[in-house]
Amino acid sequence: MSAAQQAGVLGGRALREGLRTPESLAPTLFIPVFFLVVNFGQAGKIFPSSSTAFLHGQTYAAFQLPISLLLAASFGSAALYLVEDIEGGYFDKLRAAPVSRSALVLGRLLAEAVKSVFITAVLVVLALPFGVSIASGPLGFLLLLVLTSLWAVVFAGFMQLIALKTRSAAATNSGGLVFFPLLFLTPNFVPRDLLTRPMEIAATFNPVTYVMEALRSLILQDFAWAPLVLGFGVVAVLGVLMVALNVRLIRDYD
Amino acid sequence: MTAAERELSEGRPRVPGMKPAVEAERLVKQYRGRAGTVDAVRGVDLRVRAGEVFGFLGPNGAGKSTTIRMLTTLMSITSGTARVAGIDVMADPDAARRRIGVALQEAGLDPRQTGRELLVLQARLFGSSRAQAADRAQELLELVDLVEAADRRIKGYSGGMKRRLDLASALVHEPEVLFLDEPTTGLDPASRLTVWEELRRFNARGTTVFLTTQYLEEADQLCDRLAIIDGGLIVLEGTPQQLKAELRQRRDLNADPTLDEVFLDATGRTRERLAGEVQEVSA
Repeated sequence: MSAAQQAGVLGGRALREGLRTPESLAPTLFIPVFFLVVNFGQAGKIFPSSSTAFLHGQTYAAFQLPISLLLAASFGSAALYLVEDIEGGYFDKLRAAPVSRSALVLGRLLAEAVKSVFITAVLVVLALPFGVSIASGPLGFLLLLVLTSLWAVVFAGFMQLIALKTRSAAATNSGGLVFFPLLFLTPNFVPRDLLTRPMEIAATFNPVTYVMEALRSLILQDFAWAPLVLGFGVVAVLGVLMVALNVRLIRDYD
Repeated sequence: MTAAERELSEGRPRVPGMKPAVEAERLVKQYRGRAGTVDAVRGVDLRVRAGEVFGFLGPNGAGKSTTIRMLTTLMSITSGTARVAGIDVMADPDAARRRIGVALQEAGLDPRQTGRELLVLQARLFGSSRAQAADRAQELLELVDLVEAADRRIKGYSGGMKRRLDLASALVHEPEVLFLDEPTTGLDPASRLTVWEELRRFNARGTTVFLTTQYLEEADQLCDRLAIIDGGLIVLEGTPQQLKAELRQRRDLNADPTLDEVFLDATGRTRERLAGEVQEVSA
């Protein structure tokens, strides 16, 4: 069995695990929707679609939707389930099998990507009543799903690193909080050129900015290649880095 | 001691030329921590021949689990060599993994899967097709008497059922050597007897069993040969009968001592000091 097939088998198991704990999906959906509703409710009137150029004729909810999508994609539970496997001894059972070390990492990440596609689609549907549409059309929607799920893989990979290093649920949970500063050091309320200079500099150095801008471009405009190339470039580089670091940690795992 | 007994006590192969099932030479494991280097295993030499049940005994912290984790590729080896089924576990860990089955101290199971799903997944990871994996899972569920519970989630299983399922999952690929780290710890006497019967059955089919246990009665009942490790070193090795006879002779006793007396003598422990480390049980 190839490493890809092994990753598929392990991914199937991780998906089954997610389906059997639907309660873990509730905050993943509720909190991003909450953010969308609250941010739109608070700033929707400040940025009316008729007179706000950066909204490209849509409501402010469309500008806010990428934040909710990224938030949901960063709520993946892969790392916490991994800690459970480690604490319960099942991870050793898997490590004692002739399974590619890459497959051990990729199985869960694959499942995280699939879950993210589903959650992203649900969030987009929930955003429709707020006047949101995907300006780039069906292909743009597809790219939106792919980019968001790739970010889910990157962040789940980062969380798995903490899980493998600390083997502690508490430390892994705390590690997830790192996403909040990253999310807010972005052009999350207005475009980058409207930020104060220090915030603009911080946002420029924050990789989340480029993923957010790529998602936003797909929602607000027809295809704008520059932000898409940057967004997909960021997740590709970070994705390869996270998988490589995960594999290295599993190989050295004692 | 007869020549046959001497061969047995030294773990020499029953058939000349047959490779030992487990062979370790000067096996060392050091951990580096904040308090400095800890020597968990300090040069273990072991030779387990194919087809035997080998018991690996020792007090808590003696190096049993560390040794078993090195032999099963789960932990790196600081120095020395280990071969399982003729394969160097450091040089070719995947080849070694294909030949061994592992059931560690805590039954390593996924509570959200059903027993059947867990066995099918394990068989798939060892290269079986979907259909082969389903057949093998059914066969193993019958072997460990878990057919009725097969489609229930593992989190609802009793301790004994979990342990039997763990054993079954270690057998999906028909391993040459089965490593069991304290397979009956925490089980009630009836479940312990069931596990013993199953181990005897697996062994009768030709599987070599390498077993650690804190229950000396268990070692006495199950093991063809055993070794006692203390402070990271093997302090005694032989068949249970030989070890008892040696102590009887040395101490000029009227009757054979029990294995726990052999253990106490070998590790220099008193019963008081041993309390909480090794338990005597009868199943």
